[in-house]
Amino acid sequence: MDHIKRKEVAFFGRITAGITHEIKNVLAIIQESSGLMEDILDVTEDNTFPHKDKFIKSLDRIRRQIQRGIDITTRLNWFAHSPDLSPTSLDLNEIAEKMVLLAFRFARLKNVVLESSPSDPPIVITSDPVFLEMALFESIEILLKAINTGGKITLSPRKIQNRCVLGIGYENAVLPKEDLPVQISSTERWASLQETMTYLGGAAKTFGPAPEILLHLPESIDD
Amino acid sequence: MDPMKILLVDDEREFVTTLAERLELRNMKVSIAMDGESALGFVENDPPQVVVLDVMMPGLGGLEVLEKIKSLDSKIQVILLTGHGATKDGIRGMQLGAFDYLIKPIDIDELIKKLNEAVKSMV
Repeated sequence: MDHIKRKEVAFFGRITAGITHEIKNVLAIIQESSGLMEDILDVTEDNTFPHKDKFIKSLDRIRRQIQRGIDITTRLNWFAHSPDLSPTSLDLNEIAEKMVLLAFRFARLKNVVLESSPSDPPIVITSDPVFLEMALFESIEILLKAINTGGKITLSPRKIQNRCVLGIGYENAVLPKEDLPVQISSTERWASLQETMTYLGGAAKTFGPAPEILLHLPESIDD
Repeated sequence: MDPMKILLVDDEREFVTTLAERLELRNMKVSIAMDGESALGFVENDPPQVVVLDVMMPGLGGLEVLEKIKSLDSKIQVILLTGHGATKDGIRGMQLGAFDYLIKPIDIDELIKKLNEAVKSMV
């Protein structure tokens, strides 16, 4: 990536990380305020507060939504810090797991379950986190674009013939084989994915009757 | 038993005042400071047992305040509050003598557990 592009990505990352920090401060204040209300309720006698149950339920809902907000901003913060680390040592299990959380909503819009299947032992490579995340996201998008609705996409890091591979596979138990999207490699997005993979020193390939995109990655981006 | 004496340091006024109320409901004696300079004033004039200190503050940063607290009175325990992307600050803080660090937003039960551990470690 040229210098000016890298500066642009880093700039977006820094601003986003700063904003997530601010959002977390807001969540921390809401958390402490609702926590204080719970504390006060705990020391209030039941018969002096006729709507105590409704209040407790409402506070519980606030607490769950705060946790949801914390989880979302944590993911966003992790993503925003990606440009700080380029190139760096990356655990493919960790990247796959985090990308599942980041792309979860995109899959949900098509009723697709998105999950990761970690490798044992973990595979660690030296690569560019922003481009690797982009390649994974482009792969998920290609599959989501090709299918109608339902099924499951699994991100599975593994070694094939001693080479590092990140598989992005689609399964749908109720769909007949002939209806599975096989032409994924002729799409415009596929060309964009190949471009990303070329930057990473690897290549994207398709595999199997139930389509799977295999991202072949070098152990080090400098190889 | 005397109440635990805590100093909360954070530039987010609503966060620090609400947290102080919650700790006071648990019979702790809590002071608050909104910046590093005021925190050091408390440490010199009315030293707490434990300081809960935000790392990211305008003016004197949390790690700088930690170093100054430790040079004023090494027995005072410091628990740092960091953001998710800043755990390295927490680790750095522990190298500088902090008792521990917590990631914001914090869980009150976890904070109380850490406060108790910090006070026990002073004995």
